[in-house]
Amino acid sequence: MSRLNEGGLVDRSKPLGFTFDGRPYRGFEGDTLASALIANDVKLVGRSFKYHRPRGILTAGSEEPNALVTLRSGAWAEPNTRATTVSLYDGLEATSQNRWPSLALDVMAINQLAAPIFVAGFYYKTFMWPAKFWEKLYEPLIRRAAGLGRASMLPDPDHYDRNHAFCDLLVIGGGPAGLAAAQTAGRAGLRVIIADDDTMLGGRLLSERLEIDDMSAAAWAQGIAAELAEMPNVTVLTRTSVFGVYDGREYGAVERVQDHVARPSVGQPRQRLWKIIAKRALLAAGAIERPLVFGGNDRPGVMMASAVSTYLNRFGVIAGRRVVVFTATDSGWSTALDLIAAGVEVVAVVDSRSTRHVAADRVKAAGAEIFLEARVDDVQGRSARAVDIRTANGTIRTLAADLVAMSGGWNPSIGLGSNLGSRPVWHEPLQSFVLDRTPPGMAAIGAAAGRLSLAEALADGVSVAAAIATDAGRPSAMAVAPRCSDEATAVSPMWHVTTRQTKAFVDFQHDVTDDDIALAAREGFVSIEHLKRYTTMGMATDQGKTSQLNGHALLAAATGKTMAEAGTILSRPPYLPVAIGVFAGHHRDEHFRPVRRTASHAWAAEQGASFVDAGQWKRAQWFARPDETSWLDTVNREVTMTRNGVGICDVSTLGKIDVHGPDAGVLLDRLYINTFSTLPIGKARYGVMLREDGFVMDDGTATRFADDRFFLTTTTVNAAKVMQHIDYARQVLWPEFDVQATSVTEQWATFAVAGPQSRALLQTMLPDLDLSNEGFPFMAAAEFRWHGAAARIFRLSFSGELAFEVSVPANLGDLFIRTAFQIGAAFDLVAYGTEALGVMRVEKGHAAGNEISGQATAGDLGMGRMMSTKKDFIGRVMAQRPGLIAADRAVLVGLKPVDRAVRLRAGGHLLASDADAVAANDEGYVTSAAFSPTLGHSIALALLKRGASRHGETIRIHDPVRGGDIPVEVCHPVFLDPEGMRIRG
Amino acid sequence: MADTLQISECQNFGFATVMSRKNADVAAIGGALQVNMPAGPTCVAVQGAVLIGTGPGNWLAFAEGKALTLADELTLRLPGVSVSDQSGGYVIFRIAGPAARRLLQRGAFIDLDPSTFNVGSAATTVMAHIGVVIWQIDDAETFHVAVFRSLAGSLRDFMQSASQSMNAPFGTTAARG
Repeated sequence: MSRLNEGGLVDRSKPLGFTFDGRPYRGFEGDTLASALIANDVKLVGRSFKYHRPRGILTAGSEEPNALVTLRSGAWAEPNTRATTVSLYDGLEATSQNRWPSLALDVMAINQLAAPIFVAGFYYKTFMWPAKFWEKLYEPLIRRAAGLGRASMLPDPDHYDRNHAFCDLLVIGGGPAGLAAAQTAGRAGLRVIIADDDTMLGGRLLSERLEIDDMSAAAWAQGIAAELAEMPNVTVLTRTSVFGVYDGREYGAVERVQDHVARPSVGQPRQRLWKIIAKRALLAAGAIERPLVFGGNDRPGVMMASAVSTYLNRFGVIAGRRVVVFTATDSGWSTALDLIAAGVEVVAVVDSRSTRHVAADRVKAAGAEIFLEARVDDVQGRSARAVDIRTANGTIRTLAADLVAMSGGWNPSIGLGSNLGSRPVWHEPLQSFVLDRTPPGMAAIGAAAGRLSLAEALADGVSVAAAIATDAGRPSAMAVAPRCSDEATAVSPMWHVTTRQTKAFVDFQHDVTDDDIALAAREGFVSIEHLKRYTTMGMATDQGKTSQLNGHALLAAATGKTMAEAGTILSRPPYLPVAIGVFAGHHRDEHFRPVRRTASHAWAAEQGASFVDAGQWKRAQWFARPDETSWLDTVNREVTMTRNGVGICDVSTLGKIDVHGPDAGVLLDRLYINTFSTLPIGKARYGVMLREDGFVMDDGTATRFADDRFFLTTTTVNAAKVMQHIDYARQVLWPEFDVQATSVTEQWATFAVAGPQSRALLQTMLPDLDLSNEGFPFMAAAEFRWHGAAARIFRLSFSGELAFEVSVPANLGDLFIRTAFQIGAAFDLVAYGTEALGVMRVEKGHAAGNEISGQATAGDLGMGRMMSTKKDFIGRVMAQRPGLIAADRAVLVGLKPVDRAVRLRAGGHLLASDADAVAANDEGYVTSAAFSPTLGHSIALALLKRGASRHGETIRIHDPVRGGDIPVEVCHPVFLDPEGMRIRG
Repeated sequence: MADTLQISECQNFGFATVMSRKNADVAAIGGALQVNMPAGPTCVAVQGAVLIGTGPGNWLAFAEGKALTLADELTLRLPGVSVSDQSGGYVIFRIAGPAARRLLQRGAFIDLDPSTFNVGSAATTVMAHIGVVIWQIDDAETFHVAVFRSLAGSLRDFMQSASQSMNAPFGTTAARG
């Protein structure tokens, strides 16, 4: 065990059991999986992506590239989880990835022997020919050999929640700068949200031996956290990653609500998506320590110096017994001092710089050798065993060590700041990229702004937040930053150890080496964006948080550019990997999208109806009876019973619009191709609307209930579009009209009652109405009261039968359908669904969505003569374009199979009987087809070139997809009762 | 301790769209009810009814117990308006209790903090991809949420799931009036 007996923020009174690759271990409450593994002396935790090299834990944060494990198992398995960010819980189960047969013995490590061919761009160079092998052979092979964890492929058993928040100030990061800012703004009364990845606020204060206000920094942080938790105007979100910045000052964040337990409690979400609108935001995300690029820098036992300190100070865990610190920064010396204070043997401090650090004497007094202007060339051993140090005079010293703590400098965590497209700029004094133009409302503070010392971070947090409070009209009392430890933060970057003998890695997760970058440069990939894509550097799940800057520096060196000239890349959301499930939230499976149910839905479901989606609507498709063996039997029965008796169908999904006002009639004249201003009160009329471009947009009816009160219906699918079209016409095209319009689709449950017995049924149901042919002729409409509520009846027919449409308020729709069937038993009333509705409309040759496809004119659909020449209307001029009135346009016809036993299907194309089946001979296509139980054979509607003059001709339907050509006879599209005797009966 | 949440459905309410006619005198419309018509996303209670601003010259009128009469009454009383009855077209959820505001905030991406949304506030917005009209009716954290009747089931499903996530048990009773 490498756990100290005391110190750190773990609770030694709460031991937790967990397994890694099936072996049991123990850790404590407060551990991460990574700290618990280190405490148990587990050094090897994963295999690398390409070479399958053994890898250990590199960092102690979310930037971790190496220690990726699969957490949990079965449907709960979560691949590629960073061990450094997983809170340990009792029973935690983790498995290593990308190795076979085991982590210790991975046969794919043989890839290392072939390393010379696995260079940058090797896919493109190696798997070129034969091209057809790519899909079947190369890609599956590569995917098996490379890669990380595997998805479980099982449905996600967890719930994901969502929340929205609005604030004056969003503080991203709960380190010293963030805490100071949140406290200052919170005390000033601003609505503040502070979000931090970690399980508790504090950031580096939890990991370093610093003092603030004469107390330990960790204790200070806990004090501020407690104060913030008490403020009603402050929301503290721990375990929460802000992953993206979006337009309109919108921020995306994911809160890991129950990731730190084995199974979320019932009904509780595992994670929660937050959409946050923040007037102002402070990026206080700190900085990420940069690795050094030397031989074997990826070996288990090589760790970031800051991580070594974190494991020691926060978790009471020592990551090695004999440590060499390799540093280009002052902070590396702090790690050496931390180790010495904990009694760990520091063998040497290797500083690439020439200036002797102030702590050098203390370090030396503890027994460590000091090497200035020196470097680590190579690490020996599969796990670190010894290091080769190149001293200032060029000689090599080899020292035994099992841990190398490296510190190459600090990269401000500015990823979120470039989400909206502003490229970071090089800052020479800070030796790092910093934000140039931040997203609106956002500013970086503290280490994220390159101000690395604790004093700077605290001062930034206080002063910037105070200024924001003042801007918001809430000037705070004189805010002063707390006193804190002095610390040196000097750094002279050392980008590359060129004298190394063994492989030196830049991007650990994607196995990109210094050689790969040099090769990419030699091959001409000298733009930072090309380099990234060619080498895949920074494109792994860690998005290059540790690797990017080193890679850019190597490219700059290889191409003779300065860092400023080489530049850096932009960062897109998400900053950290986010489970797709959290974006879906509640909206999965049957809740994927909202569902609209008609008023008779519950009744129809009781009758055993099958439902079909019509946009968001669920419509009853047919009502099968137990003795029926196919849907066609059911539909044939529904049609036949309706045509011979009476049927009822819920048509509530049709769009319905009230158009009111003195100019309502005039507006309708402009919207429809035919005239409505002359429509008498109490009458309905069928109408067609065109788009501006002259093609048919929609059809429906309009009914006049008063001089200034019209009621329109639209097709189901175009309900919203027509509403929008009307609003556009009345608000934009003709604002001078006094006309109001509103959707009443939802107000009315509407039922089509069709068939020769429909009048008798309705007269029984509605005895106060006169529904006789004289009292209520075809296209009549009336308002009446039903159960005290306003109701309407129309004499309209889509089926071609004597038919009515009855509308009652939707809340009474269920009562209406049940009443109809109580009374309808005597009339052998049948319920019919959309399929029977469709059969009857094909029999009657009515155009519907299949025909009104956006490519048909009114003339094509046989309604050319409806187009008024006495008035203007939308689409009138464009409908007269030569192409739209050409003689050879495809127009609506009916088709009957020459062999009546043959079944027709929609979609087949039309050819003259003797024409070759080539596109040039195409004469149109079948738009709708149905079996007509009334006629006893298949029928179809089609759009056929010059179709109006070809009735009686035999042509063929060419249907290569479903096989065979079918000879058909062209006929009038109205198959049944063309004179309309039934409708007027 | 979970915050409680009471969700019920209003019964027998009248609901109607009121749109002012061109050049209508909005002051006169309000005058007929002795009230100032809302000129923004707000609502005003008057004579047992609530008028909710939904757009320029556009209002929704809500009145408990008036399912059969509200639209006709408004047509008779208000000068210069077009009225469309919507009493059957909406389900109106009455959402009350300390967790009510938090539940609505989970669904609606508008600021429902009491400092910006309180008694007299109204919003026409979207919850869980479903269009809703929300208004706060009293200081006791009671809200009305109007939703198209066809979509009420989906909104109820969402509220059930969200309240479970909030650990706020969801009691449903049919409210009177």
